[in-house]
Amino acid sequence: MKSVHLIAKAILLLGLLTPVKADDHWAYQPIQPPAIPETNSKNPIDAFVFAKLGEANLKPSPEAPPHILLRRAHLDLTGLPPSPEEMTAFQEAWKINSKNAWTDKVDTLLASPHFGEQWAKHWLDIARYAESDGYLGDTLRHWAWIYRDWVIDSINRDQPYDQFSIEQLAGDLLPKPSQSQKIATGFHRNNLKNTEAGLDKELARTKQVVNRTATTGTAWLGLTLACAECHDHKHDAISHREFFEFYAFFNNTKDSDISVTLDKEWPITTIEKKKDQKELPKPTPKAQALAALPEIELRKTHVHVRGDYTRHGEEVSPATPAALHPLTIEEKEPARLALAKWLFAEDNPITPRVAANQIWQQLFGTGIVSTSDDFGTHGAPPTHPELLDWLALEFRDSGWSRKKLIRSIVTSSTYKQSSTNTFKDRPNELLWRQNSVRVKAETVRDIHLVASGLFTPTVGGPSVHPPLPKFVSEVGRSVKWPESIGPNRYRRGMYIFLKRTVLYPMLTAFDAPDTSASCSRREVTNTPMQALTLLNDPVFFECADTLGKELHLKHGDKTDEAIAETFRRCLNREPNPGEMATLSSAHYDLLDEAKNPELAMIATTRIIMNLNEFITRD
Amino acid sequence: MITPTPITRRSALASLGGGLGSLGMISALGENGGILTKPHFAPRAKRVIHLFMNGGPFGPDFFDPKPALTQYAGQRPEGVDLRTERPTGGLMEVPYQFSNHGKSGLPISELLPMTAKHADDLCVLRSCYTDNPNHGPALLLMNNGTMTPRVPSMGAWTSYGLGNESQDLPGYVVLCPGKPVRFSILWNNAFLPAKHAGLYINHSDLDPKSMIPWLRDPDENPGSQRKRLDLLQLLNQNHSKIRGGNDLKLEGRIEAMETAYRMQSSAHDAFDLKQENAKTREAYGEGHFANGCLLARRMAERGVRFTQVYYGNGQPWDTHSGHDKKTRALAKDIDRPIAALLEDLKQRGMLEDTLVVWGGEFGRTPVSENADGRDHNPHGFCMWMAGGGVKGGYAHGASDEFGFKAVDKPMHVHDIHATILHLLGVDHERLTFEHAGRDYRLTDVHGNVATDILA
Repeated sequence: MKSVHLIAKAILLLGLLTPVKADDHWAYQPIQPPAIPETNSKNPIDAFVFAKLGEANLKPSPEAPPHILLRRAHLDLTGLPPSPEEMTAFQEAWKINSKNAWTDKVDTLLASPHFGEQWAKHWLDIARYAESDGYLGDTLRHWAWIYRDWVIDSINRDQPYDQFSIEQLAGDLLPKPSQSQKIATGFHRNNLKNTEAGLDKELARTKQVVNRTATTGTAWLGLTLACAECHDHKHDAISHREFFEFYAFFNNTKDSDISVTLDKEWPITTIEKKKDQKELPKPTPKAQALAALPEIELRKTHVHVRGDYTRHGEEVSPATPAALHPLTIEEKEPARLALAKWLFAEDNPITPRVAANQIWQQLFGTGIVSTSDDFGTHGAPPTHPELLDWLALEFRDSGWSRKKLIRSIVTSSTYKQSSTNTFKDRPNELLWRQNSVRVKAETVRDIHLVASGLFTPTVGGPSVHPPLPKFVSEVGRSVKWPESIGPNRYRRGMYIFLKRTVLYPMLTAFDAPDTSASCSRREVTNTPMQALTLLNDPVFFECADTLGKELHLKHGDKTDEAIAETFRRCLNREPNPGEMATLSSAHYDLLDEAKNPELAMIATTRIIMNLNEFITRD
Repeated sequence: MITPTPITRRSALASLGGGLGSLGMISALGENGGILTKPHFAPRAKRVIHLFMNGGPFGPDFFDPKPALTQYAGQRPEGVDLRTERPTGGLMEVPYQFSNHGKSGLPISELLPMTAKHADDLCVLRSCYTDNPNHGPALLLMNNGTMTPRVPSMGAWTSYGLGNESQDLPGYVVLCPGKPVRFSILWNNAFLPAKHAGLYINHSDLDPKSMIPWLRDPDENPGSQRKRLDLLQLLNQNHSKIRGGNDLKLEGRIEAMETAYRMQSSAHDAFDLKQENAKTREAYGEGHFANGCLLARRMAERGVRFTQVYYGNGQPWDTHSGHDKKTRALAKDIDRPIAALLEDLKQRGMLEDTLVVWGGEFGRTPVSENADGRDHNPHGFCMWMAGGGVKGGYAHGASDEFGFKAVDKPMHVHDIHATILHLLGVDHERLTFEHAGRDYRLTDVHGNVATDILA
């Protein structure tokens, strides 16, 4: 063991001693179409993965059983579990022709409006989307959701990723920009904004531009730019000066809210009515957008010496880092638009790699580059470099169709492998199995709501305010949280109003990001706090309560049938005989204790809803 | 109709091929659930309280007097051109008076008058050094023993090796009124079993209900909840077994559920500072750090193996400008709570087997930055230890005449880790975990125990 270790150490040391030249770094090399390895697999993804497994004397895992696959596809593509009826129909179709059943199901899910929600959620993390300014004042952004809905809609209609990106970075600069293209620029309105009285306005503005610069780097280039604000980063592709050249692209914009016409009338005003309040006047929807400064107000950009905006160094013009492919700005072309297009230039290898990796990460729990936010020399190297390049080219050559790329991944055998881990301490970097992952914070909520039947599937619209636990609402400064009533209490987790200083505790407990900075990769922690939340959060109580009551009403004292249905609704499978025997017996005890069959059924339901399996995507 | 057949619990459990005996998973481990059935050496400390001055304090402000800084103020004599994070100027004077304290005569500056009364308990380490001048890597090195993320932190290793003396709380608790930079990676378990991850508590609001939401299930009595949890865990174990039985994350969730259950009965009390009498509260003083220290004592009392108290949100000790003003405020904030903690532990007879560690992720430069600030300094910095088997009233090693670089008996972070483990009765070379084809340990292939400081 030691010798292997020492060699690794020596290599590492050598790496540290020999400065890595950014020019040589793998991520900045041009993408060559990789040769697909010779294997028995027709699918190129499988060919790449299985060839590597073969080299390591490993075999891929068998295909997961259909009920696992259906749940996996539902959770990955829409973030919602299948219904028992969908499960039955799928299993029937699977018996007739498993291949067709799978591709048909994948196509159905890709066409579901919930697909856009699920994949928007990933993007909104990167876009550090929230509905308030942050800082002490934390002023609400009542119309931020118009941008959020733009993202959902764009993804649902499979808007090509290059267009999707260009509109967000520079939609206002496109020829005759549409309302939708202006709404897209809300991307760079999502950053924190300090509006405290007596603040240094130029400092506050500078901080926003710095955040926009860094976010652009993370989202499209896998670059950690934040450090270069203050100093040269020894190992990275970007110098202090280059940071401010990049910054210059975003230095000549202003926040500009635009009145918009929504294609759907939302029944409730954005600020929900309190019980004793009169009807509020209907305000005009105003989307947050970005606009270029008029010529006369244009700012010069200087290097900020050591990140201090008051200490101007040399003047700089908009330019991209020298280690990356060249950018030429045409005469009269706005620099920010040129930058957005530059990201999608033929000779840019990094943006397609970063984008394909972000998608892969959502389907396997971890990326081919595990540090999906850092493709620099400090980041992790790709486990399957050729596969990553193949995916990157596939994405670009398909006209940047997100749905096509996802389809080709989820129809591969690699994706469909069982996630069962039969080998102790065998890492899965080479993907000899699928990964089993705990679902994301919002999905923990959503699957409870769906299983209980309480779920409100409405897509988009103003965010909602499900009851906030007392420990949040009672402490500190008063929290304005106009509690939602009726079906709006049971909307998806992604629609819970995202107030930066009052993050919804259940979401935070399950690792939802704090929205202060771009996040392309959520941490997955495992804490007693999560267990306590599942055990005792009243929302989850309510779900178990509702489901237990319903099943008691439906099945009466046929408890085995009630238990079986709970399994189908929560875990999308039948209980095995051991589980059935255990739960029937437990139910019998609970009945004895509670002396009330309904309460006993609720208690049994709670046990099932607290199982690990419920919040795991296997 | 299917009538619920009165299967006994035992037979039902048997039908799943398991029993409640398999739930605890503590067979073949040490008495507190650690991997070591017995310590490698006689332990001098049973638990650790790590007071983390995140951002990095400057040792010569407090524990390492450097009169040469006054003499050469404003100059850049030879030896001060060491590479730090940012460009620096000339040497900057430490304007604080030092005097000798206690029987030992340990010099401590006027910034810490109350802590100075415990001079004879302090073992000052004047020659610490680390590898990197940036916060992220340095925080990782100090906490996790390497600059590369994704290895277990020191607290996790300790809990893994020695287990936990608390029945009701996790073995590793992290208190911070906010979030330190790099956040949860600093207390992660990485490849060690998940129960060894630090339990992060934001104690900026002292209501236990805010620190640990959802402690109580209003509807259930504890007995029936335990029964249901047993059942739940049995089904979880069964699921885990069907899944191959090797999923550490699943095992971790099962254990987190157990800890959560046990916390229900006692965490409210453990985190409730209202239970402390007025005299104690007054002794510790006010503020987040004071509260953190008092909470840490309550954790130690309950057998928590490793408690960290981060000074504050972000990196409050990172004084790149206005160093003097900020340092005075920071010092004022920590002086009383530290003195109270040491006194409190002593009065309870706990200082002898509790190791208190103080320090940041690195130090600061004797040369100025931005005219009145100090830059990061990995080359030499101060920490101190107290209690738990270290020499009191003792200063170990030395930095150069300006306090820039460790020169005598230098102690790398790996050496600090090796020494802490040694004091806990653990040979740092023998507490290992095989992962991804090789053995890992906290100190990697390094680390020497500083035997000079052992009492």
